[in-house]
Amino acid sequence: MRLFRRRKPRPSPDIILTPEGVPLKLKVAGIGVRVAAQLTDILLTMAGAAAILILLAMLDLTEPHTLFAIGAMLFFLTRVPYYIATELIWNGQTLGKRLMKIKVVSHDGRTLSTHAIVLRNLMKEAEIFLPGTLVLALDAASPVLSLIAFAWVIMAFLIPLMNPYRQRLGDLLAGTHVIHLPQPVLLKDLAQVKVPVETEGTRIIFLSHQLDHYGAFELQTLESLLRADTGRMSPTAYDSHRKTLGTIIEKIRRKIGYADRVDPADHAAFLQAFYTAQRAHLEQRQLFGDRRANKHHAESDTTA
Amino acid sequence: MEQTVTLRSARFRAEREADWRLLESLVTQAERRGLQRMDYAAARDLAASYRRATTSLAIAREISLDRALLDYLEALTARAYLCVYAPQERLGGLVRRFFAASAPQALRRSWMFILIGFLCMGLGGLTGYLLYLENPSWYFVFLPPEMAGGRSPDATTSYLRSVIYSNDPDTTGLGAFATFLFSHNTRIAIFVFGLGVFVCLPAIALTFYNGLGLGAMLALHVDRGLGWDMGGWLSIHGVTELSAICIACGGGIQLGSAILFPGDRTRREALQLAGRDAVKLALVAAVMLVAAAILEGFFRQMVQDMSARYAIGWGIGLFWLAWALLAGRRRT
Repeated sequence: MRLFRRRKPRPSPDIILTPEGVPLKLKVAGIGVRVAAQLTDILLTMAGAAAILILLAMLDLTEPHTLFAIGAMLFFLTRVPYYIATELIWNGQTLGKRLMKIKVVSHDGRTLSTHAIVLRNLMKEAEIFLPGTLVLALDAASPVLSLIAFAWVIMAFLIPLMNPYRQRLGDLLAGTHVIHLPQPVLLKDLAQVKVPVETEGTRIIFLSHQLDHYGAFELQTLESLLRADTGRMSPTAYDSHRKTLGTIIEKIRRKIGYADRVDPADHAAFLQAFYTAQRAHLEQRQLFGDRRANKHHAESDTTA
Repeated sequence: MEQTVTLRSARFRAEREADWRLLESLVTQAERRGLQRMDYAAARDLAASYRRATTSLAIAREISLDRALLDYLEALTARAYLCVYAPQERLGGLVRRFFAASAPQALRRSWMFILIGFLCMGLGGLTGYLLYLENPSWYFVFLPPEMAGGRSPDATTSYLRSVIYSNDPDTTGLGAFATFLFSHNTRIAIFVFGLGVFVCLPAIALTFYNGLGLGAMLALHVDRGLGWDMGGWLSIHGVTELSAICIACGGGIQLGSAILFPGDRTRREALQLAGRDAVKLALVAAVMLVAAAILEGFFRQMVQDMSARYAIGWGIGLFWLAWALLAGRRRT
């Protein structure tokens, strides 16, 4: 008997379902990078407020004892429109977020609405800035109020840690979260690289039963190994890379029962040929509905 | 070479690669210059190319085991998705629409919550007034000394009069405006709104407490025969400022009631739904508080005549009321 019911596996927070019905992977941005973006924005708006304040002081519109109040007001008046305007113009990115390559997206995969942007940025005032100023302006006269404000700020910082989407209170209300912008880089197709031949000129051929041992995971691990940039390696790193290749080839040979020994000069060619053949085989199996996630696919087939 | 051509996923990629490269350049263009400034053909191509890319991605996930291809397509489609589904709103139109339609409509929709806000304040005022008449020492309970600014039952009548009709240059101009904007009442309004989420009680209590202080202060001045003068001093900005607090309270109560009575929805959904109007109420309250700070910082000292103070204060109050009731009605 199990005391606790096992929780249903929750869908990964990184997946967003587009209106086209194709789920996309957009990695949720962590607290650190968001705080960094926030600090950049605060510095920018403070600089803007300071510039206006200096202008006002030069025009003789301020007095020393009201300087602080006017400064606070200017900071507030530059801050609030700044966040809303930048996120509207740059599609959910303030300057700080652009710098950190993160972005606000709508939780349900639809267009980021104006209401959501306004709401999440106004809540930022209520969540962090106003209680924050209260904490900073701590006075001994009202310790209770300061303590409440402090607790509130702590809570505002804890909420994002509690949920998988790292949403703060404003995000929860507006139905948004923040993601890392993905960088599309197209590497060349390994299977498209000229099929290598052994130094003696014979082609390396694998039989169908030899390709039944591995699954997609092993294939893609091999892929990342083959994509390693040997040109940039230091001599020692290159040596160990060669040695790794040798070990892997031995393992593969033993596992699939490939009889011929592979000459060290042919290591790269052998792996290349094996990758292509294995990929062709697995993709074909997949087309027939036989997805092989990894080398344990045969065992899971029998238990299922 | 012939062996590679038989690889279905490689052929799939070779056939579509040019289209993906085109989409990549369009996406960079859209991100750099904005969708609005792209020419028609490019924008059309972006949308069409994006939909083709989503199809490609869906197919590639089925037929290809090439990690590099999958990662690239995934990232490219995501970037294009973010461009295609970008908010398309102009800032100018946004502000206009808020004041001309959505704000007054939200005010009318949530009239009951705002009424509750006014009731809280009014009842607080009445209670404070009556309690003061019963025993003046209540005054110190409701109004902490730093807020009353020397105006207490111990002060002389002439001092009270001098505060009402003071013409101190220190309390006028930009500095005073800034000070008043971040004064006690603004903080109350923010707390009243924000704390509404905690099942209404803090919002109601704070508004009521604010009313208590107000009532006691008014009672003190009525007691000294300065009732009408005090009314004028308070009216010029208070009509706007106190209404702002009541509206903020209405917004807070709306949020709290969504948590208390979510109806058929989940609490989070109800909160999100109530948030749509509550945020507009908060914005209206913020605008009114700024207006009140302007009145307090510039006009209260400039206008020394009692009836003029009444006229300005209530005139502006009437303007707010007319705006809330009449603006943004759809013609039938």
